[in-house]
Amino acid sequence: MAKLLLKNKSKEGIQDWQAMFSEWAEEAPEGPLKRYYQAGMIAPQTALKDTPLLALDLETTGLDSSQDEIISLGLIPLSHKTIRCQGAQYWMAKPERSLNAESVTIHEITHSELAEAPRLHAILDEILLALTHQVIVVHCVAIERQFLLEASMKIYGFPLYFPVLDTMDIERQATFKPWWKRFGRQPSLRLDACRQRYKLPRYKAHHALTDALSSAELLQAQISYHMDPNADISNYWV
Amino acid sequence: MDVELTEILEALCQHAPFNEIADDPQLNDMTKEIEIQYVRAGEWVIAPSALNNTLFFIRSGAIEVLSKEEKLIRRMNEGELFGYFSLLRGGKSSQSMRTIEDSLLYRIPARWFLKLYEENDNFSDFFELAREVRLRVAMDSQNSDVSLMTCPVVSLLRRPPISADISSDILTSAQIMAEHRVSSLLITENDELIGIVTDRDLRTRAVAKGLAYSTSIADIMTRDPIVMDSGDYASEAVLKMMERNVHHIPIVKNGRPIGVVSTGDIIQKESHGSVYLISDIYKQTSIEGLKSISRKMTHTFTQLVVADANTQMIGNAMSHIGTAFVKRLLQLGEEKFGPPPVPYCFIALGSQAREEQTIKTDQDNALVLSDKYDKKLHGEYFEALTDWVCRHLDDCGYTLCTGDIMASNPRWRQPLRVWKENFSEWIQKPKAEALLRLSIFFDLRGIYGDKTLAKQLNQHIRQEALQHSGFLTFMARNANQRKPPLGFFRQFVLDGEGEQSRTFNLKERGIAPIIDIVRVHALACGSDKLNTLERIEDIEAAGLLPEGRAKDLALALEMIGMVRIKHQKDQIEAGEEPNNHVNPEHLSSFEKRHLRDAFHIVTRQQEFIKFRYAGKRS
Repeated sequence: MAKLLLKNKSKEGIQDWQAMFSEWAEEAPEGPLKRYYQAGMIAPQTALKDTPLLALDLETTGLDSSQDEIISLGLIPLSHKTIRCQGAQYWMAKPERSLNAESVTIHEITHSELAEAPRLHAILDEILLALTHQVIVVHCVAIERQFLLEASMKIYGFPLYFPVLDTMDIERQATFKPWWKRFGRQPSLRLDACRQRYKLPRYKAHHALTDALSSAELLQAQISYHMDPNADISNYWV
Repeated sequence: MDVELTEILEALCQHAPFNEIADDPQLNDMTKEIEIQYVRAGEWVIAPSALNNTLFFIRSGAIEVLSKEEKLIRRMNEGELFGYFSLLRGGKSSQSMRTIEDSLLYRIPARWFLKLYEENDNFSDFFELAREVRLRVAMDSQNSDVSLMTCPVVSLLRRPPISADISSDILTSAQIMAEHRVSSLLITENDELIGIVTDRDLRTRAVAKGLAYSTSIADIMTRDPIVMDSGDYASEAVLKMMERNVHHIPIVKNGRPIGVVSTGDIIQKESHGSVYLISDIYKQTSIEGLKSISRKMTHTFTQLVVADANTQMIGNAMSHIGTAFVKRLLQLGEEKFGPPPVPYCFIALGSQAREEQTIKTDQDNALVLSDKYDKKLHGEYFEALTDWVCRHLDDCGYTLCTGDIMASNPRWRQPLRVWKENFSEWIQKPKAEALLRLSIFFDLRGIYGDKTLAKQLNQHIRQEALQHSGFLTFMARNANQRKPPLGFFRQFVLDGEGEQSRTFNLKERGIAPIIDIVRVHALACGSDKLNTLERIEDIEAAGLLPEGRAKDLALALEMIGMVRIKHQKDQIEAGEEPNNHVNPEHLSSFEKRHLRDAFHIVTRQQEFIKFRYAGKRS
């Protein structure tokens, strides 16, 4: 079966997160973030099947990363074949500003639960440790990356970047058809819609750990359908 | 922070055995060690003879279980567990598992399975039962019947093995078999089992070849026969017999033969429920007695379904029960009204004639009288008899035919001569509309009385049909009347009304069209069979259909029939009246997919007969 190989993003060549990590390891201020970069990243020639993957999902108070805040974060480790619940982790963080009623209903997290949670700055070190040396799996890279970047700027004064396999982007390429072959609407790229395409079960959305699990399962389905486990990770990460 | 994988825990707790132990706090710890795998359709989960160290839970998708010989044993869907057999046996797996749909599987470490199995009785009970194969739970506890699936093969043994030494000749071997009234003989050398000889071997390898009586038995025996261990399940013996096409399997314990299981033993065991019911029917001397037995029929039916009988077996059993009721009523009727003044044959029509009855069918029957019949002299007797029989069949659950196709109707109680004329008329001058009503007369079986009358009539029908192929055009057209409920995009088309508006009628739109199609072909090739599957065999042999198409029809019939039978069983268990209205939302994705395929086959074959018998010579 023809496996989809994503095109390299940059004209200069492959995306080399390993090289970028060693640069940032020099520049980052002393502390947890520096140690995160110093721990390094896998080489771009690493095969997808040998890549340590970590599915991640955030719940936030809203969609604007400059104003809204992270209130929970879920992680679940996986390989191209297996998702390991044993390494699942979950944090809640008390936001600086109070929660509005709307986002409470979305997340099923209550005020009282959050009131008892620590602040994000108190747990970000721990989260960084979990992210160390991992390629992150998310559905829609823009949101997760931006929120963690903002948080890191605020807490460490230096940006946090990490390589990502974006299941939404993978799905977009997998379902892509040139305009002359399109019929009707473009397929939906929402997480739930993507999952249904692979006959994955339906989950209640908006719990960070469930959503992380959701995108982990989606990636496995996508790998089995569209991706080549022996191909270099640089073909896929963004 | 404590991690809770609620989605996984909840999914597990919706299904047995986890729902039984949902309050066990260990369950949450167990979910933390689960691994999840997405496996595409057609891939091995447990490859043949691979070691297994995991309990699998099907979160979504479907799996098929295959025997060592890669024969399908069963299919499993969402919420079911597999792999525990091998975990209880130290990892060795006699069965292999393959996905038939894209599936999401949870892998639960063996450690957790064994721990819960040790500690929690509710948990281990589930697997104990499952090991005795999932069926027993559903069975009536007061019923002592034991299904084949749940009993060890050793329980089928009726006597110690009869054996002869390798030095014996054919004559002495046959004498030993005759003396002990057995159909097989084990051959030993220094008390070790080295071969087996059966009735069939004596017939085909010795007598038919004209071998001398003094020929050594070693020359005709089957060397190193297939054996089974005394601990194996009877169901495995059935599989083995079917796979290898053998009728006798020696059973060994610690390497020594302790008996032989034959197909006869198995049939006796398997049909015990229905055979028992039938013998009970013949013992009844009153209508009340028959009525009380008829109430047990639903139980027999569900029991057969639960025991994984296929539609053919169930149809056969239900038809034989139905026939037993008719026969017993006629016997009682003859006692009441006196012996018949002229010979007659009571005729079953439609599903009973085809031996495809299910639960709850109305009666379709008729009477063929000897040509000696004289209405003035004998009319009264037969009117009284048939009226009495049909009325009491109604009492026993076989409701009166709404179209009045019953022996009690004088129109369908005629001497053979009149029947022949009727059929000649229908066949030579077919009228589409009339034939639609009459199609069930073309499935006709004599079940009581002088069966040569029914036989002569059937021969007449076959001859007429073969000579007047224009008739087939009409039958083919009629077979196209009822369409499968499939829309343009292969979605199901619902046809129910009122409360049943979310359903379609599986009998009308799936099973009946197949029966109609097959009947047309059967008439076209002069088959004397009545059962649809047997007709299909004749049709295939006659080469009426392109390669493989006959088999397609049989598969489609079995698939649709199975869905219907499961549906009716569920209704009975829910205390409802069984019917044919199936709501596709209540079907598993596996059933839906196969049902679609089956309907698709029906549609194609309907097209085919339209073209095949289109206006030939008309």
